[in-house]
Amino acid sequence: MGGFEHILIIGGGVGGALAHDLALRGYRVTLVEKGELLSGTTGRHHGLLHSGARYVLHDPEAARECWQENQILRRIAPQAIEPNGGLFVALDERDQSFYGRFVDRCRSIGIPAQPLSGAQAIRMEPALNPTLQGAVLVPDAGMDAWRLPMHFFATARANGAEIRNFTEVTALRMTGRTVAGVDVLDHRTQGIASIGADLVVNAAGPWSGRVAAMAGVRIPLQLGPGVMVSVRGRLTQRVINRLQPAGEGDILVPQRGLSILGTTAWLADDPDAVAVPPDHVQRLFELGRTLVPEVGRLKPLAVWSACRPLLRSQAAADPYRISRSFDCFDHAPRDGVEGLITLIGGKATTLRAMAEKAADLVDRKTGRSIACRTRETMLLPYRCFWRRA
Amino acid sequence: MSVRPIEVRILRCRPGRIDPPRFQSFRIDAKEDLTVLDALEHIRLTLDGSLMYRHSCHHSSCGTCACRVNGMERLACTTRLLDLGAGTVSLEPLRGFECVGDLAVQTEPFYRDIDPAWSCLKPAGPIGGAETGTEQGLQRFEECIECGCCVSACPATRSHPDFMGPAALAAIRNEMLKNPLAADDLLSRAGSERGERWCERALACSRVCPTGVYPSRHIADLRDELKGPRST
Repeated sequence: MGGFEHILIIGGGVGGALAHDLALRGYRVTLVEKGELLSGTTGRHHGLLHSGARYVLHDPEAARECWQENQILRRIAPQAIEPNGGLFVALDERDQSFYGRFVDRCRSIGIPAQPLSGAQAIRMEPALNPTLQGAVLVPDAGMDAWRLPMHFFATARANGAEIRNFTEVTALRMTGRTVAGVDVLDHRTQGIASIGADLVVNAAGPWSGRVAAMAGVRIPLQLGPGVMVSVRGRLTQRVINRLQPAGEGDILVPQRGLSILGTTAWLADDPDAVAVPPDHVQRLFELGRTLVPEVGRLKPLAVWSACRPLLRSQAAADPYRISRSFDCFDHAPRDGVEGLITLIGGKATTLRAMAEKAADLVDRKTGRSIACRTRETMLLPYRCFWRRA
Repeated sequence: MSVRPIEVRILRCRPGRIDPPRFQSFRIDAKEDLTVLDALEHIRLTLDGSLMYRHSCHHSSCGTCACRVNGMERLACTTRLLDLGAGTVSLEPLRGFECVGDLAVQTEPFYRDIDPAWSCLKPAGPIGGAETGTEQGLQRFEECIECGCCVSACPATRSHPDFMGPAALAAIRNEMLKNPLAADDLLSRAGSERGERWCERALACSRVCPTGVYPSRHIADLRDELKGPRST
């Protein structure tokens, strides 16, 4: 258990990576999560470890972040990744019109991009739409959306962080305009308790607006839920993307014996009311079938939605154009509330980088300057989480 | 899309508080694609916020949402209520695990005999239509999602709590195939006093496995290897 300030993290998603970073820096860390760990957005994505190529056409900053984090996660959590690459496939003239720019931008960011003819791509992935005109091989990968972040939780716990699931924050404890801790409801015991902290980090994803509201502050959070569908059957070895600017139904992510079709996006207000619009499932099958025709003959095994906690942008009202970048806010200069930081935006691929940025802000708040070590620190296998010494 | 009223009976439990456990019924209108997990989310968010269950990926990849549905181990996320064909659906936690609240169980014992260092990846199998050998160098996650269904369904784990159970034995067998240098040590674990000897060949593990691991086949392979000198 670290000897520096006590940092309390609200949210068992990306917060796991933050608990790991802060524990390595020597802080005393407590993380509370209202349900099971990773039961919000972070555990519920389609399983893509982005190479960054998806973003090169419209969000080079996100592309760069993704490529950097892709390489780091492959190194520190190799057992949570199917490292088989991904193809961006051009199916028609419009796709072809992006081809040259796509390859150039990948290369300018440093993302390896290998152009392939249609015939070469079909030899690699025979299930692809045979009318494809060309493809680009990039270092996308599949990740286990539960087990990769559980590596962070396992390592954080081994380094002394206290991880409490089924522990719901009911209020922020305020001393004047300073957040001094949280009140929690422990769903196991149905007991109420207070936990004091030197600093509280709001990493509650789609629910972070509610946490911020407990301190009377507003944050630029835009909920952008999306639907995904899984089908039984491993249709491809690699991730398959449509070579177009990001849009709905543009990806198939294989994992184990499944293939996952993603995604749609819309804007919402309530993180708890993200019912799957029925027409989205049909759209995903229609679009998935254009990438891999076999999809059209399969039935959904699971249909689910996840709520992206996007960083609201004045510039973009289209949910596909809102940047997948992230930010963290110190509410002292911003809102006059001391002792509270909020971390929002980002995506599963960049969870370590999000944690680093938030931990750097914790350092500034506590007047410390401790080097981040999460880029090079191998994570413990996730199973260590349940093998307590 | 058809909608049917369904009575969802959930075994409510809080050790020391709601103890012994008791069933509580909730009535919900189930559309044809509503899963057990969707129903649990609906009940927690609109009817009873104290309901505890585990969930994460919602598509049978993480293995956290396993429970007993009408007495049979299943993943809540891929079990559709209306497919169960009854007006009443009973949900209970997995057996063989300590209940921490309602359907949520403590999974630490599951990992007692599964070494954290054992690989989660294996060489990728071929894909339909691909030329043989094109899968070379590619990797895939092991099929086992560590959901605990097999342990809960196994009659031997109930009569012999020390039995390491079908998931650990299947994991040992898979690790032996990938790590021949450690095979003798792994086989001796399978042959230990907590190992294969307790298997009653009930095959319940393979029947309930949601990802096709077929633990009983791995256990049979281990049994053969334990019987005689290793043939490889």
